[in-house]
Amino acid sequence: MINLAVRDVLHSWSKFVLTGVGLGLLIGVTFSMAGIYRGMVDDGKALLRNSGADIWVVQKDTLGPYAEPSSVRDDVYRGILGLPGVMAAANVTYLTMQVNQGVKDVRVMVVGFEPGQPGEPPYLVAGRQITRGHYEAVADVRTGFAVGDTVRIRRHEYAVVGLTRRMVSSGGDPMLFIPLRDAQEAQFLKDNDAIVSERERTAANPSLNRPGVPGLLEAVQASQTASRSVNAVLVRLQPGWEAEQVAEPIRRWKHLQAYTLAQMEEILIAKLIATSSKQIGMFLVILAVVSAAIVSFIIYTMTLGKIRELAVLKLIGTRNSTIAGMILQQSLGLGLIGFLIGRTAATLWAPFFPKYLLLLPEDALSGLVLIMVICALASLLAIRAALKVDPATAIGG
Amino acid sequence: MTEKPAIEVRGLRKRYGEGDAAVEALKGVDMTVQPGEVVGLIGPSGSGKSTLLKCLGAVIDPTAGQMALAGRTIFDEGWTIRDLRALRRDMIGFVFQAPYLIPFLDVTDNVALLPMLAGRPNAEARKTALELLTALDVQHRALAQPSQLSGGEQQRVAIARALANHPPIILADEPTAPLDSVRALDVMRILNRMAAQYRAAIIVVTHDEKIIPTFKRIYHIRDGKTYEEAGEGRPID
Ligand SMILES: Nc1ncnc2c1ncn2[C@@H]1O[C@H](COP(=O)(O)OP(=O)(O)OP(=O)(O)O)[C@@H](O)[C@H]1O
Ligand SMILES: [Mg+2]
Repeated sequence: MINLAVRDVLHSWSKFVLTGVGLGLLIGVTFSMAGIYRGMVDDGKALLRNSGADIWVVQKDTLGPYAEPSSVRDDVYRGILGLPGVMAAANVTYLTMQVNQGVKDVRVMVVGFEPGQPGEPPYLVAGRQITRGHYEAVADVRTGFAVGDTVRIRRHEYAVVGLTRRMVSSGGDPMLFIPLRDAQEAQFLKDNDAIVSERERTAANPSLNRPGVPGLLEAVQASQTASRSVNAVLVRLQPGWEAEQVAEPIRRWKHLQAYTLAQMEEILIAKLIATSSKQIGMFLVILAVVSAAIVSFIIYTMTLGKIRELAVLKLIGTRNSTIAGMILQQSLGLGLIGFLIGRTAATLWAPFFPKYLLLLPEDALSGLVLIMVICALASLLAIRAALKVDPATAIGG
Repeated sequence: MTEKPAIEVRGLRKRYGEGDAAVEALKGVDMTVQPGEVVGLIGPSGSGKSTLLKCLGAVIDPTAGQMALAGRTIFDEGWTIRDLRALRRDMIGFVFQAPYLIPFLDVTDNVALLPMLAGRPNAEARKTALELLTALDVQHRALAQPSQLSGGEQQRVAIARALANHPPIILADEPTAPLDSVRALDVMRILNRMAAQYRAAIIVVTHDEKIIPTFKRIYHIRDGKTYEEAGEGRPID
């Protein structure tokens, strides 16, 4: 037996292929949406793993440092270092800002870290790590910087000495690593005008500028200008210690919040899932409806255009199941073309997306199954119409 | 002659609709056609020709009467067999006014489709098709698409398709209507030759004055009843 579905499609392939392409681009958009979502989750995980921390110590009652602002005194790490099970503890700062990259402004997340401590970029794709205490930077390749470039952050110029990759904030902004001291200054230091006016106000305050207490004013002013805050302390454990074993005393004794890696993932990924998965869910529903409409419309019109042939086929003894199978196969074929084009399109245009697009094989597989189910359902209308064709109409009146 | 009649119909009735709107299209038709015979079915418009053809072709249900095809009772106040589709496929060839070829199959597969539907292997079905196309002198168009054929060629392919399963009965509804007289007589010659060669009984519904003299036997149908009559039986050259 020859395959009637294939013969029919080959005979009028242009309509079929054009529909397949249209459907494919639609499917490609959905795969991209799913890819963006997967990319965000993956970025979030990479952010946590690449920070090299086992525990994040942040301000009490906050979900910091990535999901909420957090501020911690920059000397608490010393106390944490003294706790059993702690191998390393280091201050980090995170500040999202706009920097100028030669031709354009880019949004970056400026990370302040201490060289050799948790928070340092784990691997470089070019150049070297920061060795000097000041005015050097390591940039994620997505910032667009190259080794040897300079980048201006607030009042200072930084030399880009190294490049890293897959280091982005939970919002997808590429990271720019600079020494902690510089970062603290950029984040917490006020500009000169603000310092001058602050000083004047402090001096005008009689309780801080007492004539009988020499040196008080100077001490107050020094404490105001010197920065004493960071956003979080990253803790690395000694081998053999459970994160919760160490996190629990930090919460209890230090009046700080401490999150383990699992808890951080929960905060970061669950938050992302909450909004993004709803978004992708809506997209899926809309796409399913639209592609079902497209497929059923095109298969239905193709079938209506064949009513006379179907009547003849039935008259000469073609089984209903053969005719239904023919229409179903065409519908599934359309879905398959759409899937292949969609998947290819998504892969081809992924590098041009500003966000990281992660196309997972298992998403492709479930997408394929979904498309096939939709196409099968979409063919029902046409199959119904085909089965209602009366073979007597082939003979005429 | 002990051969059973290819078609034997007694008191066949067909009523369309119910109550006041009912139309008695056939009011007791009697008809006998022997294998190898080509008979004409002639009558004014609305007399019931197409209705009779549809009943004989197991496409619509008769209301009453008996009908036997190739000696097998298939309707006796009700269908005696379930699978009318298979019955049509194996026992009846249809030729229509328009060729109604399947546009997405080439000429060979249009013909080979019937044996394929009956479960024969593709190669064997195509061989049968090619033999028939050769017999009908269209073998040179075997790989063409139907749309590339002339009207006469298309009609010959349609006849080849009707013959493909070597059915004992061929029903032709005005097969010569769109053809000029030379082509029309061509088709009649072919039908006569095929009837003789394959021992098929052929009923040709027609209005066509050009071909009526070729029948040896004619059934006139008027107001739902048939009247048998001898035809001229003029040989076609
Ligand atoms: N499906 C139907 N429902 C109701 N009445 C019908 C139907 N088909 C045919 N008829 C009626 O039955 C009668 C016979 O119709 P039929 O088509 O058999 O005539 P015919 O001899 O083939 O005519 P023509 O030469 O015009 O093709 C007509 O009165 C017609 O109106
Ligand atoms: Mg008619």
